[in-house]
Amino acid sequence: MSALAYPDHITATYYLVLAAILFTIGAVGLLVRKNTLVMFMCIELMLNAANLTFVSFANALNDISGQVIVFFTLVVAAAEVAVGLAIIVAIFRRRQSVNADDVDLLKG
Amino acid sequence: MIAENVVFGIIAAAMALGAIGVVRTKNVVHAALYLVVVLAGGAAQFILLGQEFVAWVQVLVYIGAVIVLFLFGIMLTRAPMHPKDSLDNDLRWPAAVTSLFLVGILVGLLVHTFHADKVDVQRPVRTADVTSSIFTTYIVPFEVVGVLLLGALIGAVVLARKD
Amino acid sequence: MLSAATVHIATPAFDWHAFAPDLVLVATMVVVLVADLLLPDRESWRTSSIAAVGLLGALVPIATLVHSGHDRNLFNGAYVVDHYALALKAFFIIATYITVLLSVDYIREGDYYKGEFYFLLLVSTFGMSIMASSRDLISLFVALETISIPTFVLATFRKHDRASNEAGVKYYLIGVLSSALMLYGMSLIYGVTGATKLSDIAAYMSQHGTVPLVAVAMFLSLVGFAFKVSAVPFHFWAPDTYEGAPTPVTAFLSVASKAGGFVALINIVYFGFFLPNGRAADSWWPVLWVLAALSMTLGNLVALRQTNIVRMLAYSSVAQGGFMLVPFAAAGIAGADGHPGKAAAAMSAVVIYLLIYGAMNLGAFAVVIAVARRTRSAEISSYDGLWEIAPGLAVVMGIFLASLAGVPFFAGWFAKFVMFRAIIDAGTGWAIALGIIAAVNSVIAFFYYARPIRAMIFHAPTTEDRTPIVIPQPLFAAIALTVSVVVVVGIYPQVFARVGELAF
Repeated sequence: MSALAYPDHITATYYLVLAAILFTIGAVGLLVRKNTLVMFMCIELMLNAANLTFVSFANALNDISGQVIVFFTLVVAAAEVAVGLAIIVAIFRRRQSVNADDVDLLKG
Repeated sequence: MIAENVVFGIIAAAMALGAIGVVRTKNVVHAALYLVVVLAGGAAQFILLGQEFVAWVQVLVYIGAVIVLFLFGIMLTRAPMHPKDSLDNDLRWPAAVTSLFLVGILVGLLVHTFHADKVDVQRPVRTADVTSSIFTTYIVPFEVVGVLLLGALIGAVVLARKD
Repeated sequence: MLSAATVHIATPAFDWHAFAPDLVLVATMVVVLVADLLLPDRESWRTSSIAAVGLLGALVPIATLVHSGHDRNLFNGAYVVDHYALALKAFFIIATYITVLLSVDYIREGDYYKGEFYFLLLVSTFGMSIMASSRDLISLFVALETISIPTFVLATFRKHDRASNEAGVKYYLIGVLSSALMLYGMSLIYGVTGATKLSDIAAYMSQHGTVPLVAVAMFLSLVGFAFKVSAVPFHFWAPDTYEGAPTPVTAFLSVASKAGGFVALINIVYFGFFLPNGRAADSWWPVLWVLAALSMTLGNLVALRQTNIVRMLAYSSVAQGGFMLVPFAAAGIAGADGHPGKAAAAMSAVVIYLLIYGAMNLGAFAVVIAVARRTRSAEISSYDGLWEIAPGLAVVMGIFLASLAGVPFFAGWFAKFVMFRAIIDAGTGWAIALGIIAAVNSVIAFFYYARPIRAMIFHAPTTEDRTPIVIPQPLFAAIALTVSVVVVVGIYPQVFARVGELAF
């Protein structure tokens, strides 16, 4: 806890803790929400936490690859969102609901 | 150094509140707007860390494209703006336990492992270095991502097309 | 000022030969797309031939690379083309080729986008081919997403069907969640080790042992991969997705895409957390041990209750995934004990199991597709009396099911044999315990694999219709290919044993 007791300079730990908190909030949201769109948003929160972690480490380690991997993550996330929303739109064409709990045709 | 601490604190608080907003709000459009707060805060933190390139990529790709896609998704599916029932399911207590467990472990270990690491903001990374790294060391993933984007594009069109 | 900012980018030396298989795949994708544009709608199923020729074409550079003999380390070892990578590339390409054969008539007769279907299959295969060579967190992540994103679309491909929609959305949510978990784990690994290249991570691990934070990071990454390979308790999406997706896509998901996840797991765990001396292995083998035991047991017990053959095969593939994790855990145990040689042998058992599982599972799905052409049903009861209606299909189905169960002199027997050999080599109490669980489960598996066989032979056919089942040529070729692999490998297992030995 020594790091948190000396707030005269910011250490990478602050950023990492912030990212961990965001990651947890995203994970909780994924568990408690049932609207598919909001579930996507919660996953975006988790991805964003991972990105913040990468960037903080890139800075702390003075290493470039942390930034490069964030660049790739952003691109991949954009592709994922495009496909995900296309799936949601396709579902909505058939049935007028986007709640994950309503999607229970197959169970067991 | 104090100014930087204050800026970090304000942005961090905004991000955390925004994230809680995404998880708590009953309105899907509000959730998307709360997500903008978190993402913009993320971009600001990136700048604070001296990593401008990814900060602007974050603004352009996430806030510019992903959020707009989300808003389009909300409009196209006419997701509930004023729902009568809540958007939550009944997993609240397991979720609370999971969150305490997760945040406890992660924060504890992070503080334990990295308490000595300083962030050196005097050392911003030049965008040119990032690009030269992408186009030399990481050229293979870069090309693969190109194919991936083409695949995602065509896949999304196939699914979303009306026929 | 501007001139100070310009940077000279040195063009990296590029070994075109090493990338030739991947480039052939990309070229095929482009040709498929253009052909789909030019062909009239009614003819667009012919893009399947282009895809098939392209896939076979990609095997040519693989053969020349094997022939040239030496390993190629590109980008300081971030991209490796060695025998292990080549064997897996060939496996992925052949598995996709068989999937194309399964799909031709299914897709042609349904109301689907045809060119796009084969294009997406090829994109996914391209991702697998890159995955086989990736030795770096960044390219590993990008390759895994290139495998997954097209399969999200393929699972939803029957988009006017509720079950397919649901298959897609479940698969998508789980897929994206698993990449988020994996990525967060990777970010912590990067932070602790300061490296993205797997060999550097391994060097750090063997020097410093396992830091607690790395153990958590590893756990998060392993959970992400467990979703991808549908290991219990992260399997719940698989049966729904398998049943809802178009059947050829299910075959592809249960073989090629699952193998893609497995290869990612092997790369990161074996090359990243294990080499050079295996000291860090004790932090990950317990996770794999638990995943293996749960997947085998639960997969088998739930498979016993299924009445739909696709769902039964889905749970059976969960259980088979567990069997594949057994030698993996054994490798970790042997490594932690300080026997890297035994660990390498156990890893080659994983690869051998993967290859054999691919052949027999694709074959079983091929028969399911052939039977469903007539019955329009995937219930096990629709197999009643198949022996009288189509004895050929009944025999072939019997062979695949017997092989999946591990009956001697079919390929599955050899897969089980190498699995148990890895356990015995590892030799510790934990390894033996896992071996006992695996043995009990092999026995349970007999019961549900025997049920369709019993229905085919002893039950009377439900219809009076005795017209023979017409099997289109591509489907026939797929069945012939897979059944000959299953029989030949069962009798001469040396063929695959050699492939496995080359790999590690």
